[in-house]
Amino acid sequence: MRDTFRGGVHPNERKELSRKAALRVFDAKGEMVFPLAQHIGKPARAIVKKGDPVLVGQRIAEADGFVSANVICSCSGTVKAVEKRRTISGAMQECVVVDNDGKYTETGDIYDQPMRVDLTREEILAAVKDAGIIGLGGAGFPTHVKLAPKDPLAIRYLIANGAECEPYITCNDQLMRGYANEIVEGMEIVLTLFPAAEGVIAIENNKPEAIAAMQKAAAGHKRIRVLGLRTKYPQGGERSLIKVIAGVDYPITKLPADVGCIVDNVGTIYAIQRAVVYHEPLFRHVMTVTGEAVKEPSNFIARDGTSFAELIEAAGGIKDGVEAKKIISGGPMMGIAVSTTEVPITKTTNAITVLASDPVEAADKKMTACLHCGRCTTVCPNGLMPQMMADAVAAGDFERYENKLYGLDCISCGSCTYICPAKRPLTQTFKQTKAEIMARKRAAQGGKK
Amino acid sequence: MNQRLNLSAGPHVRDRWTTPFIMMIVLIALTPAAVIGVVVHWVKFQSLNALWIILASVGSAMLTELLFCLATRRKITIWDGSAAVTGLLLALCLSPQTPVVLPIVGSVFAILVVKCCFGGLGKNFINPALAARCFLLLSFSNGMTNYPGVNELGVDALSSATPVAMLKAGSMVNVTKMFLGTAGGVIGSSILALLVGGLVLWGLDVIHGEICFSVVGGFSLCLLLYRLFGGHGFDIGYVAAQLCSGGVIMGAFFMATDYTTSPVSRLGQFVYGCLIGVLGALFRILGKSADSFSYSIIIANLFTPLIDLYIVPKPYAYRKSAIEKAAGVVKPPLLKRIPKPVIALTIIAALAGVALSGVYSMTKDPIAAAELAKKRESFKVVCENAADFKDVDAAQKALDALEGGTYGGGKFGTTVIEEVYEAVDANGNTAGYVFSITNRNAYNPPLKLALGVDPDGKILKIAFIELNETPGKGSKADEPAFKDQFVGQTDTSAVDTMSGATVTSKAVLNAVNAGLDFFHNVIMEGGK
Repeated sequence: MRDTFRGGVHPNERKELSRKAALRVFDAKGEMVFPLAQHIGKPARAIVKKGDPVLVGQRIAEADGFVSANVICSCSGTVKAVEKRRTISGAMQECVVVDNDGKYTETGDIYDQPMRVDLTREEILAAVKDAGIIGLGGAGFPTHVKLAPKDPLAIRYLIANGAECEPYITCNDQLMRGYANEIVEGMEIVLTLFPAAEGVIAIENNKPEAIAAMQKAAAGHKRIRVLGLRTKYPQGGERSLIKVIAGVDYPITKLPADVGCIVDNVGTIYAIQRAVVYHEPLFRHVMTVTGEAVKEPSNFIARDGTSFAELIEAAGGIKDGVEAKKIISGGPMMGIAVSTTEVPITKTTNAITVLASDPVEAADKKMTACLHCGRCTTVCPNGLMPQMMADAVAAGDFERYENKLYGLDCISCGSCTYICPAKRPLTQTFKQTKAEIMARKRAAQGGKK
Repeated sequence: MNQRLNLSAGPHVRDRWTTPFIMMIVLIALTPAAVIGVVVHWVKFQSLNALWIILASVGSAMLTELLFCLATRRKITIWDGSAAVTGLLLALCLSPQTPVVLPIVGSVFAILVVKCCFGGLGKNFINPALAARCFLLLSFSNGMTNYPGVNELGVDALSSATPVAMLKAGSMVNVTKMFLGTAGGVIGSSILALLVGGLVLWGLDVIHGEICFSVVGGFSLCLLLYRLFGGHGFDIGYVAAQLCSGGVIMGAFFMATDYTTSPVSRLGQFVYGCLIGVLGALFRILGKSADSFSYSIIIANLFTPLIDLYIVPKPYAYRKSAIEKAAGVVKPPLLKRIPKPVIALTIIAALAGVALSGVYSMTKDPIAAAELAKKRESFKVVCENAADFKDVDAAQKALDALEGGTYGGGKFGTTVIEEVYEAVDANGNTAGYVFSITNRNAYNPPLKLALGVDPDGKILKIAFIELNETPGKGSKADEPAFKDQFVGQTDTSAVDTMSGATVTSKAVLNAVNAGLDFFHNVIMEGGK
């Protein structure tokens, strides 16, 4: 079997900063902020109001519609407000703000001991939905929706994504090293939903300890195997994994389930195991605080709603004599730069990367005209033609962009921007263009009605 | 934590490669060829003109871009290195004897007209260096065709495909010299250095293999087929000599691969490369121009926008194979998918090819003999009593020592003695000596003539093999009034020049004098 996909890039990994830091539980002291829209789909509906007492594990907002997810409180205390707060994206969004009493009193529904019971398909899906589990890889698609495809028997592969191809991030590496048996148990639970599927735990081969740990945990399992993948970005992209494991390329209009695959982050699998075996909803997850400007790069089990500032402090704070130039929620390839550290982490925040220098600032100074060198076309994991797409956008030819160049199939992985010697902002242009085309389509449909 | 944080859309990291870095790699890859060009010219002629050409070309290219940026108040872009690359490429495809003013004019044209006026880096529609070369060729043909020591070694003689020189044993020696770059021609004529540079660029993924290899492949295949079906069999030596001449390697690895003027998709690049290769081969076979390869690249440059418009590869997910795979279609192995007739035809074609080369190798000697006989027939014109021609050892040694260079060290202008034979009459006695001589100082070079000299050093006759002079003026050289003056003379002091055609007359006199000089100093001396 192939061990990688076509294209891709090799950004400096920088995982050595934090890869040896074992997971630490971090309990925040300050107020906790829970945005209602942490997932793809409709924002959740708040079911608490100002002054309500809340406990760890208590549901504070409810899924509103099918593609939506519950929001769980990660601390105990009193609801301070339900109001707009600044979030990672920079926008002001509706949030539940909880005054943290620091006691972390739990609801009592969470088991102390593992209680594995054989649940039916419906019970598993309900447990996942109640726990508010969403895809922890970054996109945040509600997991109970993903696990309920039209035809569960058509699913051939259940892929646990432990590739962790984003530079700097090491939390899943540590999770797999420390909780290999739990992840395998989570796989077993999910595999009961898909009788025809084979479980594949996919890990980039720059994490030999994680591969060894998972292999040990999965040894003897007939339906679960561990697959080492070549280290290359974006190996951990859903499509990249499906290309390697199922050997299939599929258009953007299709879902992995359409080609017989379900891909879940190892963190999500672990959350499913916690939800089913411990009845624990998703209110904390693993994450990395790292970067050249951080004193002690660390891997945490952190509670949702904790502010960036507290987590950076927990990692020793900013190094003396170093200025934090840029703070990224996530890794440097697909992460979002934040304007302030007074924003809360959400379920999908897998890293805080604090850079001491900003490569983008330096690159912008070196920008030249496009050379037509074609390096972007060789790295695109989907075989798109970024150079032609950029030309089409510059010419205002959205028709060519969409229909001839399949520009809507861009997954915004950033490989083309990364590789461009002329330092052109390709991915950024495509993000805007896709949004513009979708907006025009919606406007056109609205006009017909 | 109150300081300002930088905000930008991802990705937040960048690769180390920049535009200037790529240009620097290209410059480094061209350096061996440039150094060899300069050194060879210095060793042969004790002249540093090649170096001055390179410096003038690179310098004026960068200066032009600087002035353009200043005049139009644009960002100064000279440090991206692309102007330097253009300047160096232009210099390397000029003769080391070119007056230094020409590369300056060419660089200004390349940068100002072809590059800057069309929008600068990444916007030019044809390769600036090639455009400048062609501009210079058309505008200053005299200064541009001044090659040191060019005969069958150089660019043009080969393109007119005179196979006699090739069939002689010396042909492989010539190819070796061309390969090393000591044969003369343009500054960047060392195929070895260019190949090393080009392959390094390919290895570093700076240039696309789809382009350079399809250019070389298309060109070679075309010529090979032409030779095969032209009855010469599987003639690798001929293809090698063609590949080593006339800027094919330079064009394939450094000119055709120019990013801006080549297609972006792999298939497009392959089509574009083949177009250049096939056009180049056709021009070589059918045309006479020494610079046909430049033209074929420029023509393909012009097709690039069209190729990019129509040849757009589909993303992986939309290709037929991916769709079939997603639908679970299982394909038979590759060999079974090729229709039987195709396999049969391929085998037949291969067998025919083998058979043809077999026939050729059997008839090779008769063909060579026939061609030599034809050549001898033409020499008979200048030595009527000749029944047969023999090689002259001393003469052959002297010619080999010259390596196709100018005879007489410039005493007779740029004159090359190409062939010398001893003419033998029916009784086996020496009837005289015959020469074929080329002079490149004519009004419209080359001027090629056959000269017959009797054993006492008297001119038997002269006849023109190639004469391209102005009709009514220089062309009168071929009229008896002029050429018959030579008959019976032992020197050319009594020959009257043609009025109104002094340049042509001088070229003829130089050629004849060179022949006489060779007769006295090499054949007679060597014979004693």
